[in-house]
Amino acid sequence: MDKKALLIALLLTSGLASAQEADPDGFTQPLKELKFNPGLDQREFERATLDALNVFDPFESWNRRVYHFNYRFDEWVFLPVVRGYTFVTPRVVRSGVSNFFSNLGDVPNLLNSILQLRGQRSMQITARLMFNTTIGLAGLWDPATRMGLPKQNEDFGQTLGHYGVSEGPFLMLPVLGPSNLRDTSGLVVDFVAEDQINFLNVAEASSNHPEITVLRMVDKRYSTNFRYGQLNTPFEYEKLRYVYTQARRLQIAE
Amino acid sequence: MLRLRLAALLGSLIFCAQVLAADLDANTYGFPITNPFEATIATTPPDLRSQVPANEDINQSDYDLKLRPERETELPDNFWPVKSLRYRLARQKGPAPLVFVIAGTGGHYASTHAESLKRLFYGAGYHVVQLSSPTSYDFMAAASRHATPGISSEDADDLYRVMQAVRAQHPSLPITDFYLTGYSLGALDAAFVSHLDETRRSFNFKRVLLLNPPVNLYTSVTNLDRLVQTRVKGVDDTTTFYQVVLGKLTRYFQQKGYIDLNDALLFDFQESRQRLTNEQMAMLIGTAFRFSSSDIAFTSDLINHRGLITPAKYPITEGTSLTRFYKRALQCDFDCYITEQLIPYWRAKYDGGSLSQLINQVSLYALEDYLKGSSKIAVMHNADDLILGPGDLGFLRRTLGDRLTLYPHGGHCGNLNYRVNGDAMLEFFRG
Repeated sequence: MDKKALLIALLLTSGLASAQEADPDGFTQPLKELKFNPGLDQREFERATLDALNVFDPFESWNRRVYHFNYRFDEWVFLPVVRGYTFVTPRVVRSGVSNFFSNLGDVPNLLNSILQLRGQRSMQITARLMFNTTIGLAGLWDPATRMGLPKQNEDFGQTLGHYGVSEGPFLMLPVLGPSNLRDTSGLVVDFVAEDQINFLNVAEASSNHPEITVLRMVDKRYSTNFRYGQLNTPFEYEKLRYVYTQARRLQIAE
Repeated sequence: MLRLRLAALLGSLIFCAQVLAADLDANTYGFPITNPFEATIATTPPDLRSQVPANEDINQSDYDLKLRPERETELPDNFWPVKSLRYRLARQKGPAPLVFVIAGTGGHYASTHAESLKRLFYGAGYHVVQLSSPTSYDFMAAASRHATPGISSEDADDLYRVMQAVRAQHPSLPITDFYLTGYSLGALDAAFVSHLDETRRSFNFKRVLLLNPPVNLYTSVTNLDRLVQTRVKGVDDTTTFYQVVLGKLTRYFQQKGYIDLNDALLFDFQESRQRLTNEQMAMLIGTAFRFSSSDIAFTSDLINHRGLITPAKYPITEGTSLTRFYKRALQCDFDCYITEQLIPYWRAKYDGGSLSQLINQVSLYALEDYLKGSSKIAVMHNADDLILGPGDLGFLRRTLGDRLTLYPHGGHCGNLNYRVNGDAMLEFFRG
């Protein structure tokens, strides 16, 4: 008798539980639990999105032309070259190349992290540079990440932002893509700094052997996942502009 | 007496279990994300996904089709990338069956779900062709005859022409059989394409798999439109929804100490103190769909010179700012697109009547008899899918019987890359 009672109780409770969760077809009605705004207050999507479209872009017409130039350059020059590069070099070589240039990039990362007076981060990047340059054979291999020292990007644009320099107008740079006035100046400073420091003698070698610079650009495109048209919208320019602006703010705040 | 009742109860339970043979219970299924919004956004945790080849190990290329040469001159200059239709073909070395994959609402042939399905089928030895959705910007511009998507039979007709053109572009590709699949709206398209194929017979699809299809298209559209009307905590007069989410992301990365974007990011984020609420996630999902609806409204209006969003004959060059048209298009949700563009077009072309007539014509209901009788079609769906309404699963159960597999969790398409789902898809195709 007890067993029967137990069985009935079980059946009843399981029936109740499933009645709360699912209808007789098994549908659990996921929207039922959501809280909705009352009728007159349902325009948050429109409000937020229209607000997000306000980016300071006085050179928009020029920027858009550059965007279309970059799109074509990517399709007709950059990506075919990257495909050729992927075809002729084995994967281990490609990752060696990426690691090598990434290690070089840790020099401006360190510099900017010091300029921002970030002690712990500077030490971590110094450790990364040491491990990757020595154990990692001049950066061909990236043991530091495996040792728990993740890559941390800091550039001069971020340093400027860190000290409150405003973004300035949005700029679409030929080949390099979205930027703004502050980050473009930062780019120039980082470039000059790297040239002066001449870490591992790469800057000097590059001026005699432009193929190093070309390889670096190919590697940069190879390791960047973005593809023009991938967002598949007539408003890709607007979306890139918004995402770039927000991503930079996030990097500066972090 | 009591015994009799018990026996009857148990009997009916056993009977129920038989009817629901294709239902998986949550424990056996083992999908870890029981929140449908989280599943929709983050999909399967990386270590539970199907084992698939890396992109670099897939022999694949993108190809162009020129299907609507008149658009070359009709469309403004800044549409140059979508004047021909692009698709992706991954080919096996020798003879193999070919799977067509149709993307969901607004989806590109290379969108995330289409890519992950490609990897799955390619890894199992199929040639794979990925196609953009008839509702996507590129398809509307380059392949659609009327560029007013939403009438399922017409969209299927457009798709069918594209598939025939794809086949004609690779005459030497050794294909043994044709298979067809699609997810979300692409699954509804797949059903209509399969139906069309019964008369045109270009492919004779061996099996057709519908992944998370809308049943009643209007229910799905209404659900998606509603997702952006949720009450989101933190939104006030000075803070917009995006600012709330970005603020959370910023604090999350600050606590973490560095920015690392990877597959596991979202799971880690949802474990953190900054986790998003259901309303916030619903808003994010709804936002993605609203972006699609504004793209559709804008593109359809522009191609057909309706003058609702872009004034007819407005000069557009590569330097023209589209932002103000975007602002107008953003205020048009799916319902607005249907009312302002789809229904007038449908009425003019088919002498159509009421909204409910249109809904019946474009939803799975229209294919009820075909779905009932055609054993080569199966549906996989989730009990907690956001695009369904009450009664939809009942329709699928009645129509497909045990050809419906119902998973207890996964939200909208969140479990497509889960191992168990992947195995079931391959199993179905293997027959």
